[in-house]
Amino acid sequence: MSPAPHTGADVSRRSFLQLSMGWVAGTFAAAATAVATVRFLEPNVVFEPAQRFKAGAPEDYPDGSITFLEEERVFLLRRGNTFRCLSAVCTHLGCTVNRTDKGFHCPCHGSVFSPNGLVESGPAPRALTWFLVTLSKDSRLLVDKGQSVGFDKYLIL
Amino acid sequence: MNLDPRSLWKWFAATRVGRSIFRVGPPQSNLERSQVMVSSFLLHVQPAKVNRHALRASYSLGLGLISLYLFFILIGTGVLLMFYYVPSTTQAYDRMKDLQFVVSAGLFVRNMHRWAAHLMVASVMLHMCRVFYTGAYKAPREFNWLVGVGLFLTTLGLSFTGYLLPWDQLAFWAITVGTNIAGYAPVVGPKLKYLMLGGNIVGQEALTRFYALHVIVLPAIGGLMVAVHLFRVRKDGGLSRPDESADTVQSLPLGQLPTNKTYGLMELARGTTPQVGKNPEDEVFSWPHLIFRELLLFLVVVAFVLFLAIFWNAPLEEIANAVHPPNPAKAPWYFLGLQELVSYSAFWGGVVVPALIVTALVVLPYVDRRRAGVGRWFAKERRVATAVFSVCVAAAIAFTVIGTLFRGPNWGWVVPWRTPPPPTEGR
Repeated sequence: MSPAPHTGADVSRRSFLQLSMGWVAGTFAAAATAVATVRFLEPNVVFEPAQRFKAGAPEDYPDGSITFLEEERVFLLRRGNTFRCLSAVCTHLGCTVNRTDKGFHCPCHGSVFSPNGLVESGPAPRALTWFLVTLSKDSRLLVDKGQSVGFDKYLIL
Repeated sequence: MNLDPRSLWKWFAATRVGRSIFRVGPPQSNLERSQVMVSSFLLHVQPAKVNRHALRASYSLGLGLISLYLFFILIGTGVLLMFYYVPSTTQAYDRMKDLQFVVSAGLFVRNMHRWAAHLMVASVMLHMCRVFYTGAYKAPREFNWLVGVGLFLTTLGLSFTGYLLPWDQLAFWAITVGTNIAGYAPVVGPKLKYLMLGGNIVGQEALTRFYALHVIVLPAIGGLMVAVHLFRVRKDGGLSRPDESADTVQSLPLGQLPTNKTYGLMELARGTTPQVGKNPEDEVFSWPHLIFRELLLFLVVVAFVLFLAIFWNAPLEEIANAVHPPNPAKAPWYFLGLQELVSYSAFWGGVVVPALIVTALVVLPYVDRRRAGVGRWFAKERRVATAVFSVCVAAAIAFTVIGTLFRGPNWGWVVPWRTPPPPTEGR
């Protein structure tokens, strides 16, 4: 049997239905396979360090200090009785920035940030992120890396 | 007994067992030279006769074959490495050290794998340049150019997934940077990054994924594409050559065949078939002309990899430290041009430029369709194409050289012939 012609009005009802059902079923099967495969590869649970962590007692940080918390890749800043937490992860491609006299410097592609985390030069698209700092019930500093805040929002004790 | 391989083969092929394996002994006649090619599984992948032009080393430079041989070496050494390597963040680095200091010839096998990988990236790139400069991607070979672009990307993917596996500093930070670049892609970027890493950070899930991609997914895709690539070389009439169009279409009306010659049915072929362009005068038997050249090149490639592996050790940096990137943090040489671009802008350098390059490579054979100048290096008729491509290649080389030699701590400018200043407040 030769394939039915695809053009003009001389497509029979039967071959039209066969073709359209075939295409619909084929497209559906391909799409379902693709979606299911991507969903399979996308983990529903990840085993990663918690975003919230305790950064010790406020007294541990002297006035005017900027402390690098290595495990968490953040800087903890104390000025007087205010506490802030600044991300040490470069917004460009995720390297850890180093502290310099004038602010922060990324070793990977040379982004330079001001002491307030603003981009001064280099390829970084955004300022370094400030994280929410609160006080836990047992009087420890509690940082949530899942919540970014503005520079004007900080913990006062 | 005579130890000359030919007489050994002749003796063995005459025994009962030998006859069952080889249908033909050492070829003595042209008939046997054809038979030996078509009766052996390994040899029948290749034609019984080849065009003289295809044998000219100054035309092809043997770059495709070199890439293929390097791929074989990489599979062989890679499988050996799999017997010791464990894709676990707590074990991977120790296993690398074991390969280095404990396993017999472990360091040597790893060296071979590393240097063959570098060479393969280089030979694939050079092969692509050769095909461009000789106009070999033009009809009927457009599709094979596309397969070649796929092979080029697969090669880069193999090298990218491969260098996370040692779990050293280079591995960790190269993948951190690489996956973050993927995250800049519009719309799908963040999800793509999440899928590549199997999470939000470069950790065990990422290592597992890269391992699976490196040892099975990409080699399988690459191997399949190599098969298609070689198949198409034959189906498209062998290597490109000058004035091919002159001998391409020879349709002889059935009634008007010359009577002084016997024709096989395949010889009536027209268009793009394996028989096209096979004028008997231009052809030589693959055995021995092609086969021995190929064996010789194989020996040269293996010898060169062994030479590198004996005298230079594959680098292994400190164990991956998720806090401190090395300063400067550099990718391998073939990604340093890209890293240099990324240091201006992650989106433009890391997404737009690579996407433009790949798009240009894909559409090239369908846009540049003029047939003039095919089969010759730097043909006059293709001056513009040659110039445009050369500018792109020169730019790629320039950025790579800058990224490799002229970038120091904090990705600042350094002059390679002077000692770089110590990084300010490193660590």
